[in-house]
Amino acid sequence: MLTVKNLSFSYSKKPFITCMNFHVERGEIFGFLGPSGAGKTTLQKILTGLITTYDGSVKLDGIECKEHDNHFYENIGVDFEYSTMYEKLTARQNLEFFSSLYAKQTVKIDEILADIGLQNDADKKVSDYSKGMKSRLNFLKALLHDPNILFLDEPTSGLDPANSQLMKDMILQQKAKGKTIFLTTHNMADATELCDRVAFIVNGGIKALDSPHNLIMRKGAAKVLYTYYDKHERLGECLLSQISEDNVLANLMKENRILSIHSSEPTLNDIFIEVTGRTLQ
Amino acid sequence: MRIIKLILGDIHFQFKYGFYFIYILFSALYVFLLFIFPETWREKAVSIMIYSDPAAMGLFFMGAIVLLEKSQRVLNALAVSPVKAIEYVIAKTISLMLISVLVSLVLAFVAGLRNIPEVLLATALTSMIFTLLGLIAATKINSLNQYIIMTAPLELICFIPPAIYLFVPSVIMQWYPLNGSMALISNSSRNPLRDITMLLIVIICLFMIAQRATMKMWKSLGGVKL
Repeated sequence: MLTVKNLSFSYSKKPFITCMNFHVERGEIFGFLGPSGAGKTTLQKILTGLITTYDGSVKLDGIECKEHDNHFYENIGVDFEYSTMYEKLTARQNLEFFSSLYAKQTVKIDEILADIGLQNDADKKVSDYSKGMKSRLNFLKALLHDPNILFLDEPTSGLDPANSQLMKDMILQQKAKGKTIFLTTHNMADATELCDRVAFIVNGGIKALDSPHNLIMRKGAAKVLYTYYDKHERLGECLLSQISEDNVLANLMKENRILSIHSSEPTLNDIFIEVTGRTLQ
Repeated sequence: MRIIKLILGDIHFQFKYGFYFIYILFSALYVFLLFIFPETWREKAVSIMIYSDPAAMGLFFMGAIVLLEKSQRVLNALAVSPVKAIEYVIAKTISLMLISVLVSLVLAFVAGLRNIPEVLLATALTSMIFTLLGLIAATKINSLNQYIIMTAPLELICFIPPAIYLFVPSVIMQWYPLNGSMALISNSSRNPLRDITMLLIVIICLFMIAQRATMKMWKSLGGVKL
């Protein structure tokens, strides 16, 4: 679906993106993770055909991004981090307008509004919408022309837990339909939950690229933490891979003196810091 | 057709944001003024009114329109849609031209002008020029203050020569395209075909510049202050 070969780009004489290479399969959720200024937005602009002065090759669905015509956008949906609607128009009016710009009009607006629970607010002005409602509506706008490729920029940013979960469910529904999804986020928990693979982007380059599970397992060893009582409450820990060698734990288990026990894996955030030396959150 | 949808979308946007309401008020005010002017002044007064307001409204309103679209990030969405920059420019130009022509028709009718078709054609062409100039300026700014500063020299260039030409129609000044517009509106054109051709040439050049400016704006979108 996407093949990036030797991609380099610069806004000035100083290189900004340098020799980037990666490939994304059809139907994948692929995450771009990185701190502000790392090159994520620039990369998204290149992939969506807004920056065409790059070196190397970027082929999205077989089309070289710098050589696209406007039909290219019939197959791409972009959900921005912020609302991109006419605030004085209603949700329905906005969706009808943006839908009318595409040749492919397969989606019924009332039906998709109902899918995301906004059917009763369809005739309300967008300026009267809450942040969560605007986010859902914005996501819906990206789906109006039923694109095969979705670019999602911080889709859960600023949402409460319920709306955040709703958004993640909607993203997974799109994946289930076979869409290829590019997710740009600072949120490591979302990336771990949603992405098939993630790329850590720092200083215009990819520092690591793999599935969240593999990155976590490759870089960090899972630990077992346990507490027990010995005059006062104590904490013990050992590596999961060496659990049979922990005699204290073995004795505690034999004597039924363990107060609590749980395994602890490093998070994607821990791995990001370890790989890049930078923090996101 | 996408261009029709874009034009209808722009008209809807302009209606919702009160542009039509403002122009109903302005038209009422101008009609009132035309009635209180002595009859001998009426023809020159209506020419100045039509040239300086309905025809030139694009220069006043494009800043507000583009800044609203920038602040509501609508342009970000349009930039990644199948809409071409030239379609965006055409839609803005046609939608504002329709209001210009409607207001101009009311004023010309009330003032009893005999050359209404010429007035409407000149209004339409001049409106396109001012809208394109406004759009080119608006693509480069991030606040209304910047827009006002940027369009001040344009206003001098676009308003003073035609105003002088209306009262002192010299031969040399007839080659200034916007003087041709004033001459068509005031029914004093010595060569209507030449005047219309000059306006069309200016429009074509401005369309090309506006298209490039819009493309550049779409590629470098950012936040704005209103």
